Amino acid sequence: MKTNGGAAMIKLQRRSFLAGTAGLTLFSALPRIVLADGHDTLKVAIAGETGDLDLLQNVSTLSSYTVVFDGLIHYGAGGALEPGLATAWTVAEDGLSISFDLREGVLFSDGTPFDADAAEVNLKRWMGVPDFGWIGISAAFDSIVKDAPNKITVKLTRPVAAALLELTIVRPVRFLSPKAIGADGTQTAPIGTGPWIVESHDSTKTVLVRNDAYWGEKPSFSRMELLVVPDELARANGLRAGDLDVIGGDWVAPLSPRRASALKGDGMTVIAEPGTATTILGYSPKSPMMQDKAVRDAIFIGVDRAAMAAVLFEGYADATVNIFPTTVPTAGARIPVPTRDLAAAQAALTAGGWTGDASGFTKDGAPLLIDFLVSDEAFPGSRRIAEMIQGQLTEVGFQVNISSVDTATIHDRRPKFEYDLTFFATYGAPYDPHGSLGASFVTAADTGPDGKIYVSDDLDKVVLAALDAGGDAREPAMQAVYDWISSNTAACPLVVSQRIWAVNPRVAGFGLPTTDYDLPFKGITLS
Amino acid sequence: MQRMFMRRTGLAVLLMLAATALTFALVSAAPGNVAALIAERAAGPGADGPMIARIAEELGLNDPLPVRYLRWLGAALTGDFGISLRTGKPMSEEFATRIPKTLALLAGGGVLALLLSLVMGLAGAVSNGGVLDRLLHGVALVGASTPNFFVAAMLTIVFSVMLGWVPTFGVAGFTSWLLPWITIALFPGSVLSRVVRVNLQEAMSRPFATTGFAKGLTRRAVLFREALPNILIPYMTTFGAQFTLMMIGAIVVERVFGLNGIGAFFIEAIRFRDFIGMQAVLLLFVVFFVSVNLIVDIAAMLADPRLRRPRRA
Repeated sequence: MKTNGGAAMIKLQRRSFLAGTAGLTLFSALPRIVLADGHDTLKVAIAGETGDLDLLQNVSTLSSYTVVFDGLIHYGAGGALEPGLATAWTVAEDGLSISFDLREGVLFSDGTPFDADAAEVNLKRWMGVPDFGWIGISAAFDSIVKDAPNKITVKLTRPVAAALLELTIVRPVRFLSPKAIGADGTQTAPIGTGPWIVESHDSTKTVLVRNDAYWGEKPSFSRMELLVVPDELARANGLRAGDLDVIGGDWVAPLSPRRASALKGDGMTVIAEPGTATTILGYSPKSPMMQDKAVRDAIFIGVDRAAMAAVLFEGYADATVNIFPTTVPTAGARIPVPTRDLAAAQAALTAGGWTGDASGFTKDGAPLLIDFLVSDEAFPGSRRIAEMIQGQLTEVGFQVNISSVDTATIHDRRPKFEYDLTFFATYGAPYDPHGSLGASFVTAADTGPDGKIYVSDDLDKVVLAALDAGGDAREPAMQAVYDWISSNTAACPLVVSQRIWAVNPRVAGFGLPTTDYDLPFKGITLS
Repeated sequence: MQRMFMRRTGLAVLLMLAATALTFALVSAAPGNVAALIAERAAGPGADGPMIARIAEELGLNDPLPVRYLRWLGAALTGDFGISLRTGKPMSEEFATRIPKTLALLAGGGVLALLLSLVMGLAGAVSNGGVLDRLLHGVALVGASTPNFFVAAMLTIVFSVMLGWVPTFGVAGFTSWLLPWITIALFPGSVLSRVVRVNLQEAMSRPFATTGFAKGLTRRAVLFREALPNILIPYMTTFGAQFTLMMIGAIVVERVFGLNGIGAFFIEAIRFRDFIGMQAVLLLFVVFFVSVNLIVDIAAMLADPRLRRPRRA
């Protein structure tokens, strides 16, 4: 080191500088595989950042809650109720109380024991709180009794038929360490009892480490990185390049049928299973045109669901005319999917007083013209489906105008029923059937921007009766709802999209998570 | 000189105020309801009419637009840009984590565009009608016509998927920035290379170049010593404009490469109708556009004495 006028200077020869720069450049350009150390890390793509996983706020990614927090009851395949933090539960005969045996020896990841005290603190954060009145068990909450250090009873003011199923939803029903609840009642950190612990999170990724004190089956690998990749093509390329191990899931990082087919051709493993959410064509109950049942019938029989599933969804969807698929509990008796029948559709119109043919129908001088509200932004791929339906209905004799709008506009117009036709989707597991029925088919329900699939005074009575029915009465009451919707052609179910995931060849033992709100990790081993 | 700077800065501030007022009005006029979104965030499907009305009252959303604008502007000047409806975090926190990524993208892209344009423009001028000149002309045309999402996809497939040299997305060291920088620099680099080439051609036919030749200087010497300094002003102003446009490019590039800077945040804010986030980012864009133009104007005035002379009728 030399000094020059008091200032310290490092003498660096030009040759050394150039050699150093070249070395650095070479080092940084080394193939990543040489430097990779992720043999014990599962890298999962997520479309948006996870957020702080606050159980009471609706801003974090839903799929990330389920790996950190447990509920009393877990949602199993086909809607089976499986023990979570409760090992057993008993619903009183009058339905006014539910007792839970809490799992013993469970610790939150900060070491706090999970017991009746912790359960009470957590449940009182949302039960009986007006903001969570949309959850039946919260709206009917009366009190909590601690029967023993590991036993509690929730008392209700009225029976809630779907109470146990409601305890399987993503939030706010899961349990947070009491030490992570601030003095003002807000969540200070995402500390749960689940199989993973949040090590860090920012806008680009969330790092999870295995909870070695987890009460259930522990993952075979010690780290999971949830990497934020908003662009679908980038996710697919990330999988191909080995930067990602798993992509897919409607609520995690959606994978379109077209992209899935391309990935399959590139040697990636694509897994698809029947989905739990139905894409439905909704008829506006306020539209004069759609109040005519003949028009609804003609649309119902005039669309080709099988072609839609085969062409637009590339086989990754199943045609349906049921509101819910069989992957949802009490989904009702199966209705055979009708083959598209142009003559039957035109006959339905003629029987309803419409005159004309495939070139166009009229009634009292008014043309058979319908407004089809679509937002590809809010419902990706819907524009293509709408165009196919437009073509099919035009062959029947309809004139169909597609109004293609942005998310904000469809959210504005849908609740006001400012359309003739538009797309809806049911919520899927674990929210259905009670979630979609209670929100999308009941006049009084306030669903905000989501709008409603169909409402009428008659339907309200049938749906509300079904939602209140418990025990053996539940299934026939639910069937009555499905029968009413079907016989009145109150909705036009189209397809059930399959749940599509793709994995890198280094991932073995991949199985789809129970719902689209869960992250996959169970049974996975990494090579 | 100082008076001119003050005048130019004053105009920039007025422009910022006008632009923020306009963007505030446009965002406020967009379909959707901020109160409904906040209620939805807090209560999910439980957000109902009375709750939405209460939130609207608390936030002063029923006040006249000018009152709301002044209140928002006053808070923004103190660093309070509101809380994002999508992420639930203060916008100042979002800015703190995201702006560095966007700045790194723009800075790297800017340097690359500068180098690319000078190399291509000068090489074309040296070749002057030769094969290289025509080839570079073609390259510039392709570079200026290819959408950046396509460039990004092609680069990723070749350098990440096929060769495995660089990551496909994310921020993981120097190499992870290479593809985003190339993608964002290609368009401005191509446009600027034509600015360099065309202005050099024009400069080479001006009297000072002829004088250089008459004094026995070589074509290369005249090009570098006489013509190049004379294209500084048009180059600087075009570079400034292209640099600001790179912010628009960043919206796509950040999303495609999973950089999650301000551009990616803006897209998500639009998708989720995060009005508070949109307004804050638009304010940032306005400040960025006006500031870059102000810096370029001042730099041009410093570089060229003719621009410092007061204009006379």
